[in-house]
Amino acid sequence: MLGKTDSNATWFIVAALGLFFIGGLLTTVAPPLLDKSWNTAFVNHDPSKGMTGELKPYTEQENRGYAIYIREGCKYCHTQQVRTLEADTVRSGWKGVKAPVSTPDEFVNDWRQTFGTKRTGPDLARVGGKYNKQWHKAHFNNPRDLVPGSIMPPFPWIANNPQELDDLVAYLQTRGRAKDWRPDGDYEK
Amino acid sequence: MAASTTDMAASASAPVVHTDTSAKCFIVGAICYMVVAGMFALVIASKFVWPEFLGSVQYFTYGRMRPVHVNGVLFGWLLAADMGLAFFLVPRLCGVKLWSEKLGVATWFLWNVIILSAVVTLLGGYQKGLEYADLPTWVSVLVVIAWVMFGINIFGTIATRKYQQMYVSTWYIMGTILWTAFVYLTGNFATLLPGVTGVNQANLTWMYTHNAVGLIFTPIGLAIAYYFIPRSSNSPLYSHKLSMIGFWSLAFVYVWTGAHHMIHGPISQWLQTISIVFSVMLLIPVWAVVYNFIATMKGEWHQLSDNVSLKFLMSGTIFYLLTCFQGPMQSLRSVNAITSKTDWIPGHAHMAVLGAFSFFAMAGVYHVIPRVFKTSLHSDAVANWSFWLFLIGGLSMFTALWLGGFWQGLLWNNPSIPFIDTVVWLRPVWIVRLLSGVLVFSGMVLFLYNILATVVGAKRHAAAQA
Repeated sequence: MLGKTDSNATWFIVAALGLFFIGGLLTTVAPPLLDKSWNTAFVNHDPSKGMTGELKPYTEQENRGYAIYIREGCKYCHTQQVRTLEADTVRSGWKGVKAPVSTPDEFVNDWRQTFGTKRTGPDLARVGGKYNKQWHKAHFNNPRDLVPGSIMPPFPWIANNPQELDDLVAYLQTRGRAKDWRPDGDYEK
Repeated sequence: MAASTTDMAASASAPVVHTDTSAKCFIVGAICYMVVAGMFALVIASKFVWPEFLGSVQYFTYGRMRPVHVNGVLFGWLLAADMGLAFFLVPRLCGVKLWSEKLGVATWFLWNVIILSAVVTLLGGYQKGLEYADLPTWVSVLVVIAWVMFGINIFGTIATRKYQQMYVSTWYIMGTILWTAFVYLTGNFATLLPGVTGVNQANLTWMYTHNAVGLIFTPIGLAIAYYFIPRSSNSPLYSHKLSMIGFWSLAFVYVWTGAHHMIHGPISQWLQTISIVFSVMLLIPVWAVVYNFIATMKGEWHQLSDNVSLKFLMSGTIFYLLTCFQGPMQSLRSVNAITSKTDWIPGHAHMAVLGAFSFFAMAGVYHVIPRVFKTSLHSDAVANWSFWLFLIGGLSMFTALWLGGFWQGLLWNNPSIPFIDTVVWLRPVWIVRLLSGVLVFSGMVLFLYNILATVVGAKRHAAAQA
């Protein structure tokens, strides 16, 4: 059959698109239909069933901060996924407590996926509640003041704009908070 | 009587006169954009060494300049150069003129609008926020329109062809046009449909990002290599059958592999496994293609020493083999746990886009430009210099990033090492990457100079004769 495609453009188009669409549809349209966790928000209030918590919709302010995160291309250096690797759970952990592995149901409200491809700075999947606003303000002003050796650029136009700072910090504080993973609700604001 | 028959035979078989206006516009424009994208590359590579460099101006921060570099290289340089080369080779493979030079030039004008809008909007902070699909939606719409115009022109040419049998390069170009349409729509528009969020959106993004390389730049790059390797070496293609195996296995296998970008990540395990299985199967089309190229060169290797196009083509083939060997290996869970998200990844990506497909495109440009401007290349020596700068700069960049990235991955897997230490220790790697970038950029400048001097020389020559 494929022999015909050598000299017949119509046959060619049918075969080239046909082969492409088998894998194309099975890997894009089928998976969210088969795995419900891609579209169902995480919620669990029963400690006997594992980690408790609830994924909440973004507030207006958090959404504004989310847009700033996208605008500045933060995801080009910061991933947001605790992978199924022991080291990831320790690195994203805090004060000796390991962070839970990221699951699809924590991201169903994310209108721009921020999983990222390159980890130049640390992963931010569980950064919510680790640092308070004052820390973030100083860090955006000059990251090297707080983390010597950091190569993150300074963002003075955010640090010195109270509205944008509040919005962006509000967004960052949501990261990883769907799961109540820290003992005694020890979260900074 | 005899004389008139000869005349008729001569007019029937008279070679088609190609005007090549569209090819000229796209190719020369693409090289200019390559140098611009290269400047952005140098700035962002410098930022890894001097983080304060251009750091306090919001338009020039890393997060905004990186998408300009990536989109500039992919769409401004590589895709535009590939389209220009397609405008050259499809009419020749079909034995007819390009369906419409006017439409081709109009496509080129639209393409410039797209590239300039991309620079302004990305620096201005209007990025869509999806990798490779960073352009704001209205610019993506223009890309779709330009692609349809390109497709009509190429398919129009193929529909009016004189040679019934289509050469393998023609298949690859037709495949590129068809697959790109759906791959681009998936990454730029399906991702924005209501209800598409989180992992679902990431999966669609990966279908696009992966296939932007696999089903756009790979097939059109191979179309170019399949045309110019036999052409530059004056030897017939080794095997038609092998080229069919390579093409049809690519058509089937590539699209399944998108999820291998989220191995160990928050995406269904079974989907990760499918993507790994198909990633390993990619070795089939790659091996079929590379074996065909190498076998075509059998007994002709001596030609490499004085043919700059062949130098680019054969080193591009080696980079293609290496990059497509890395790909399946990186998808294996054990290897991925080390290399994923590290500096290995830009090393791998640069070998594909710069080492393999840009080398193929530059080989084509060096072959085509003297022919379409009916002159000879301005300087073979400068062309050789540009090749060696690209090769040495490229190799040292890839090697530094692989070794550095692998080491970085091993460090990350030892959580007793603070993250910031791994940043500080990588600095020498980033310095080597910057210096290699300077070499590659010098190659780009020489390449641009040589091509422009050839074009200007041809114009002067024509003016002097007139």
